[in-house]
Amino acid sequence: MPDIHMRPTVVIGLGNTLMSDEGIGVHLVRALVVRANQFPAVDFRELGTAGMAVLHTLAGRRKAVLLDCVRMNEPPGAIRRFNPDQVASGKVLPGFSLHEGDLLEILALSRRLGEFPGTVILFGIQPASLDVGDSLSPVLAARFEEYLRLIAAELDEYAS
Amino acid sequence: MTEKSNTLNIEVHHVTRIEGHGNIVVRAKDGVVEKVEWQVPEAPRFFEAMVRGRSWEDIQTIVSRICGICSVSHSLAAIKAIENAMGIQVSQQTDRLRILSHYAEYMESHILHAGYLVAPDLLGQKSVVPLAASHPDLVKTVIGLHRLGNEWMELLAGRMTHPVTFKPGGFSSLPSEAQLRDLQQRLVAGLPELEKLAQAVLSLADRLPAFTRDTEYIGLVDGQSYTFYHGAIGSTDGKETVPVRQFESVVNEYVSPQSTAKWAKWHRDSYAVGALARFNLNAAYLRPQAAKAAKAFGLKPKNCNPYFNTVAQLVESFQIVEHALEIIDAVLAAGVKSETPKVAPKAGEGTGAVEAPRGTLFHRYAFDEKGICLKANLCIPTNQNHANIQKDFEAFVPQIISRDPQEVRLLLEMLVRAYDPCVSCSTHFLDVKFV
Repeated sequence: MPDIHMRPTVVIGLGNTLMSDEGIGVHLVRALVVRANQFPAVDFRELGTAGMAVLHTLAGRRKAVLLDCVRMNEPPGAIRRFNPDQVASGKVLPGFSLHEGDLLEILALSRRLGEFPGTVILFGIQPASLDVGDSLSPVLAARFEEYLRLIAAELDEYAS
Repeated sequence: MTEKSNTLNIEVHHVTRIEGHGNIVVRAKDGVVEKVEWQVPEAPRFFEAMVRGRSWEDIQTIVSRICGICSVSHSLAAIKAIENAMGIQVSQQTDRLRILSHYAEYMESHILHAGYLVAPDLLGQKSVVPLAASHPDLVKTVIGLHRLGNEWMELLAGRMTHPVTFKPGGFSSLPSEAQLRDLQQRLVAGLPELEKLAQAVLSLADRLPAFTRDTEYIGLVDGQSYTFYHGAIGSTDGKETVPVRQFESVVNEYVSPQSTAKWAKWHRDSYAVGALARFNLNAAYLRPQAAKAAKAFGLKPKNCNPYFNTVAQLVESFQIVEHALEIIDAVLAAGVKSETPKVAPKAGEGTGAVEAPRGTLFHRYAFDEKGICLKANLCIPTNQNHANIQKDFEAFVPQIISRDPQEVRLLLEMLVRAYDPCVSCSTHFLDVKFV
């Protein structure tokens, strides 16, 4: 029930691991969990495609770091660190279904509810492949350690 | 949308890069409807290819990723099918805790649907974000209930979504009795919040369009409860029931030249699944507060107004909380027993069905003697509803064609939203422009 052991920072991995690079955020957070003892002030959450769970996971945190596959007009495999104020959504959604998700809208709702952490950082990774398959494309797989280093550096201020 | 003097031309298109969302197309001239279409590409079948060649022990993990909203339903349908194929029996405790987990998904999904998709329509807002400014109390109630659903799910399924505790034969970890008692208290506290949401929707219920079309409704029935998990396939068109292993004889998928998605039909040229279908089939078995909510909305079987699917979802929200409280009582009375599922694979074919929030979900798998999946067939609720949405459009558009084009568009969008189709769940990646 309510997480009384909630740590001030949360790293959230998003995406669908059945659609190759779409799952990069989940793959990264799984790799970070393995070294979680380096980051005693950080919770790691794998939220997959449960968009609204992001809202609840942000509540009560000082800092959130979100890892996701992002289409941002960069070469495949590129990683960019940004905050939500630096981007506008390119999605056009008809609003037919709960299954459509726009992370930026969820972040806006969190802000509106007064639950938005003081710092929210996104690491976006441009996909090389969104084909069906449960492994990353060679392009992203080759850069995986680089992504982990960049994200870990973001968490360093909380490292033991 | 464009409007000329005597021509109505509505096209709600979602341009997609991956697999497509639904489109609404209406063309009319001089008040005569020339074209009405609900267009949806075939829902992805590639998940079936993905589980072929995989171990029986991996199936649930894979299919739970099909959907972020219905991951418990997909997991349970798969596990039931695996158990059916391999002759695995589960304990009463497992059965009860699975139903309890399933209800957590209902809480999340129904509350989100009513609060995030339908309430903005009824209150004239584009989405829940502006609604949070105009109606903060309502949004807080919705989010509080959804958060309760999330925590409920985390307790039983081990995660807010994509369950990790579900295994063929049982659970890999169990909640403690203290945790179940805590959940019970929180559910009791949630009932007045649910009442608030129901009252808010009730006060707007006259804004739900008064459209009815006689429809065949299909869902699981067991003749003794408002079932979401057990039972055979029933229809409002007859008393016969069909075992879930014969679901193909109910679904009868066919191709229509009007649609890119396959359609489904049983006794007529379309049918509907989902909350309103379950209500129409099983309303006699509602718990007291759920029955009271239905009465407050004037919802009686058989209701054929698709917009009332949302009302049926609210009624079901009471039902699942009331039944969850009883289940927790029963589990606590028996005492939570540690169980380690020990099952061995064997060759066979099996089917599993559950009521997902959007309707009846079927999974079928065949395995070899090592438990390697040889074939799979997944039939999702949304595919069963497409033909019915189309038939609703065909009946409704001529009734409203003389109205303002913006209103026609909104009414049709609301109609689609009432079904809450699962049109694209597999990719959620952000698409951004740097500003």
